[in-house]
Amino acid sequence: MGWKHRHLLGIQPLSREDIWYLLHKANFFRDSLEEKPKKEGQLNGFFMINLFFEPSTRTRISFEMAAKLLGMEVINFTTEMSSILKGENLRDTVRTLSRLKADVLVIRHSSSGVPQYLSQFLPFHIINAGDGMREHPTQALLDLLTIWRHFGRLSNLKVAIIGDILHSRVARSLTIGLQKMGSEVFFSGAPTLVPPEAEKMGGQIIYPLEKAIQGVDVIYLLRIQQERQKAGFFSSIKEYNHFFSLRKDLWEKAKGQAIIMHPGPVNRGVEVDSELVEGTGSLIEEQVTCGLAVRMAVLDTLIQEGKAGD
Amino acid sequence: MTDSILIKKGTLVLPGRKELVDADLLIREGKIVRIGRGIEDPQAYSLNASGLLVGPGLINLHVHFREPGEEKKEDLFTGARAAARGGFTTVVCMPNTCPPLDNPLFARYIVSRSAEIGLVNILPAGAITVGLKGETMTNFGLLKEEGVVALSDDGKSVGKSRLLYLAFRYANYFDLPFILHEEDENLSPAGEMHEGVTSFEMGYRGIPPAGENSRIARDLVLALYTGARVHLTHLSTDLGVDLIRWFQARIPVSADVTPHHLLLTDQQVKQFGTLAKVNPPLREEKDIQALKLGIREGVINILASDHAPHSLEDKEVDFASAPFGISNLEITLPLLVKSLVEEGVIDWISLWEKLSLNPARFLKLTDRGSLEEGKVADITIVDPDTEWEVEVNQFESKGKNCPFQGWPLRGWPVYTILGGKVVMQEGSLIS
Ligand SMILES: [Zn+2]
Repeated sequence: MGWKHRHLLGIQPLSREDIWYLLHKANFFRDSLEEKPKKEGQLNGFFMINLFFEPSTRTRISFEMAAKLLGMEVINFTTEMSSILKGENLRDTVRTLSRLKADVLVIRHSSSGVPQYLSQFLPFHIINAGDGMREHPTQALLDLLTIWRHFGRLSNLKVAIIGDILHSRVARSLTIGLQKMGSEVFFSGAPTLVPPEAEKMGGQIIYPLEKAIQGVDVIYLLRIQQERQKAGFFSSIKEYNHFFSLRKDLWEKAKGQAIIMHPGPVNRGVEVDSELVEGTGSLIEEQVTCGLAVRMAVLDTLIQEGKAGD
Repeated sequence: MTDSILIKKGTLVLPGRKELVDADLLIREGKIVRIGRGIEDPQAYSLNASGLLVGPGLINLHVHFREPGEEKKEDLFTGARAAARGGFTTVVCMPNTCPPLDNPLFARYIVSRSAEIGLVNILPAGAITVGLKGETMTNFGLLKEEGVVALSDDGKSVGKSRLLYLAFRYANYFDLPFILHEEDENLSPAGEMHEGVTSFEMGYRGIPPAGENSRIARDLVLALYTGARVHLTHLSTDLGVDLIRWFQARIPVSADVTPHHLLLTDQQVKQFGTLAKVNPPLREEKDIQALKLGIREGVINILASDHAPHSLEDKEVDFASAPFGISNLEITLPLLVKSLVEEGVIDWISLWEKLSLNPARFLKLTDRGSLEEGKVADITIVDPDTEWEVEVNQFESKGKNCPFQGWPLRGWPVYTILGGKVVMQEGSLIS
């Protein structure tokens, strides 16, 4: 069975085999990143456009580096440049871009479903780099790669995802991915940010937080944004930190074989105690490197093999 | 005095078993250790309760003790004395102080001051919103850690529906219930009294039942969808009872009524003036009848005071300028006996249930609210028969703002026992 997707719009459309296909390739790239020189030339002459309607330096740079390692040329449309395009509607903007005859468009947008919408009429491969509150497939893939490389398997693991589940595309993509691979997901955090509907995706809500992280293999913390407090989802950073963050004492009680993960950037002292970020149980930095490898695998696969299908 | 008390020959009120039982009750080291007939204990201080009702200590979900900020009206010490004199062993004080109780430090102060005074368990309710402003949630979890037992913006209702919706869901994590004052102030700008014939006649601005009931309906809908534990306090209208009845078939909502809403109507504003200015306002006879029916059916399962003391100089002004509130903590029980027991609405057992067992369950005070071996010895002893006139000037409360001066009443508390210690005997406090 080969690769049969033209785009990477989400984890949802991928089969378990698709995910393994990307992870095996990414695993190879991850190892090769330790070698010198790292650069491989197999995508020489292909062009990638980074189109970010939301600021995210980390993800944009990761895509850019992945493309360049494969020999691609990269054009960046950052937020500031995208704002030049204000006044045009999204479709016209992207039509203009499409005349640039690039091969891959990496898009991030604050509205859920934009990558799907564009994929209906744009002539190149589309990679969803995060759409609204829906999906962030390369994040989920890099998380899976990190977990796989650590535990040697992706099935029969218990993963607690803690924090702003409601607004998190990371939580959605990761939950879908973990379930396809045969692992269990638990959710916890402030109940205003953990909607009961999350259980419909599979996964189980457990309160209080202490109980949700007991005996799990992975504690996955989500970034909590200040604007959620302003919008009234919780009362204060102080209270959030006291009840809904991974504090050192909770970690000591729960840890066992667990590892700590976070999609970054971390709010130290808000969702996690600062010293745990670089602690022995943390794979947060490894996630960044795995992200590069996963994006290389995705670019390589779409360009080399993503000719037909959806 | 020894640390044992033997209450002899009383009639025990057992709301949990819906029984009155003639028996003795032995207290040792703050706990009820034995209940039965013919108990002897020569070491124990013996208390003759013949002809008296002996029941679990009364619990009051709604008092205002005004500290900090308005100690001229009441403070924790005088409030506690009034509570003990009124037969109450536990009270929940509302957070609309100056500043409001929206900070864990204030809660800690009240809890420690309550222990120091030692006359009644004063449990703080925390504000739902910072400064009672209706804009942002307080730190529910941190408040609970310092002793807050419920959340309330009493005196107001939270205007922003989304804020309350999120607060309801957020509070579930901490298992904190809400005590809700229901009033849409948009419907009663500068309102002074119940909107009806009397307000028209007197020329006072109205507070329509629509304002209370639209908020009751909204908040019960929010509770239905969020699973919040919600208690509606000082219910005053007939429709309110019907709304709660409808929702009670679906969610465990509770409600209370004050004695003044059972005994006075809006017409009595003419007679009592500002002493009868209270919020929610005194309504109409049909409302009283509906409230009584709700009490009999159990739709209204709790009774409370809304003890709201004010200084007389605050009340001795024109009607519009006067603050809302009635001081009634020391006469709450006899007033309820008059309006409910003597009228045949409910019996003593049911009355006691609504004043002890049900509020204890609402607050999840599992070691209080019933007379059982092993429970905390918070006990109230009542003389059901002797009639006394209300003498407002003898109130321990600083608040003498009470329209019931001179009313002959029965059902006065004669002993209050807190944690196995007699703190009130025949109207006098023992310290
Ligand atoms: Zn009120």
